[in-house]
Amino acid sequence: MRISPHRLGAFALAAAGVLGVAGEALAQHWPTEPVTFAGGRLLVGGDVSATFGSEDPGWFTYTDYETSAIRRVRAGVTVEARASNRVSFLTEIRAETGVGVTPYAWYVRISPLASRLLDIQAGRIPPVFGAFTRRAYPQDNPLIGSPQTYQYLTSVRADAIPATVDDLLAMKGRGWLVRYPVGDTSPHNGVPTVAAERWDTGIEVRVGPPAFEAAVAYTVGSLSDPKVSENNRGGQVAGRVAWHPVAAFTVGVSAARGVFVADSVRQARPDAPPGDDTQRAFGIDAEASWGRWLVRGEYVANTWQVPPLDDPQVRDPLGSHAGYAEARYRLHPRLYAAIRGDLLRFTDITSPGGDETWEADVIRVEYGAGFTIRRGLLLKASVLSNWRDGGRVEASHLGAVQVLFWF
Amino acid sequence: MARTRRSFIVRGGGAIVALATAAWLSCWPAAAGANGTIRGTVVIRRSQLVTEARPASAGLGAGPRRPVEFRPAVVYLDKAPGGAFELPEPGRAAMDQKDQTFVPHVLAITVGTIVDFPNSDLTFHNVFSLSKTKVFDLGRYSRGKSKAVRFDRPGVVQVFCDIHSHMSAYILVFAHRYFAVMDRTGNFAITGVPPGSYSLAVWHEGDVRETRALTIPESGGTIEAEFVIR
Repeated sequence: MRISPHRLGAFALAAAGVLGVAGEALAQHWPTEPVTFAGGRLLVGGDVSATFGSEDPGWFTYTDYETSAIRRVRAGVTVEARASNRVSFLTEIRAETGVGVTPYAWYVRISPLASRLLDIQAGRIPPVFGAFTRRAYPQDNPLIGSPQTYQYLTSVRADAIPATVDDLLAMKGRGWLVRYPVGDTSPHNGVPTVAAERWDTGIEVRVGPPAFEAAVAYTVGSLSDPKVSENNRGGQVAGRVAWHPVAAFTVGVSAARGVFVADSVRQARPDAPPGDDTQRAFGIDAEASWGRWLVRGEYVANTWQVPPLDDPQVRDPLGSHAGYAEARYRLHPRLYAAIRGDLLRFTDITSPGGDETWEADVIRVEYGAGFTIRRGLLLKASVLSNWRDGGRVEASHLGAVQVLFWF
Repeated sequence: MARTRRSFIVRGGGAIVALATAAWLSCWPAAAGANGTIRGTVVIRRSQLVTEARPASAGLGAGPRRPVEFRPAVVYLDKAPGGAFELPEPGRAAMDQKDQTFVPHVLAITVGTIVDFPNSDLTFHNVFSLSKTKVFDLGRYSRGKSKAVRFDRPGVVQVFCDIHSHMSAYILVFAHRYFAVMDRTGNFAITGVPPGSYSLAVWHEGDVRETRALTIPESGGTIEAEFVIR
């Protein structure tokens, strides 16, 4: 069933009314702080979001073959257990329609200095690259969709690669279900440039907040394909340096390099020439706020290198350039408006027909509003307009509403 | 001349928390006797003195240590003498933002008071409230700057920061002047109370914990009251 953005808007208004009444009824026992046990040594927080959106025949908003970011119910529980003032254990368990229950994060955090200017985290840890990965939670995202860098499924896979340029171009604009002849030959979705839905496993060290912050991590996966356990012969090193020259402004620079292609691919083609099957990325992010405004932006340049196999060979790195800018303006203590402009472009490769982009460029404009029914209960509505330079569906205008509860 | 007695209803954080009941009550006899004082102590048996930030797995490290907060109780007359509503010129009060904490955590004021919200932290803050008594949003502002809000209705206002979800505070706006915030030793005193029968209430962290009837005799004097909040 197709749902128009206008019908979703009407639904959002009705839902606001119903939730407003329910919110008042529940208000007396509404938590405004995390639940604590054992004198504050065990903290529990959580969030639940339900997102209802239009059908997306162009797969613009999918995070894997099964799940659209604008059609899902998600619940998460985060627990922090403090063994001492310097050691704590954090875990986040997330349940999501189409995905099931996932231990999204589990790691130990060690703060060896009393000043907390040094922290070490080990386990399944948050990514250090970029800014959006650490605010992918619904309450930190003023809109419903994610920037395409962190969500849009490209035609690249870690466990399967094209043997020729023709194999690659045949998958152009259809990252939701990709099939290549080398490696895992079953169809499966491609990867986003930077995965925000899964976290990697490794160790991370951070120094120096609040005016200056630097973090570096070594993990077993890669930016676009985080892993719990190793699937190739190398890991990834990623880092980010952030500077807060004034309280209102933050600028960060990130870089990452890691082995991307799975060993199973090379085992399938032992004749593949040696090379670095890496993903490299560089990013800049910035955030500024003043008065009722909050403005953010990011730029990410990225390449995947896959082994050249058969003629015509994929010799060029598969590159992408992505950037977005978003703004939120608070119209009223309960109401804000937000907009995000988002561009994802891909580099050219040499093909028998001449130079062309190896993937279809995508543009997205998302605009919407959020209404705070009460603290911890937020209703969002947004419209996502997507345009793609190729693929089965080249333009798609989608609507979505999201109800979010958090404590 | 007859004087009237009014009640005081406080609604806290969207939840209806009746700190007093009913509206206009019976006639109030002329205050022929001496005013009295209600003093005593409030013992808080269990209180979370550190406002913890939400456990955030997305952090690259630990957040700043949370300071211990003083979260006092407020003792007030549920029903006040009519003369109490002839309030003097409303004044100013301040609620600072320091170490990502509102200081004080509880502010008790009379209707019409203007409250300043200075920012003493290095980070931005964004004070707001969605309480029915006063809905406001001061936007984001930096260290050294201050914004003010006038509170012109009685009730409870729960205050938050839009940037730091662990920051919260209460402002109790009274329509009369017969209230007191307990000090760090638990002591409180409400002075200048005309003779009469009252209901004395104690409020703590969003709820009225206990109410108690008491009488100030015509001769005035001091009435003692002890409360224990568990």
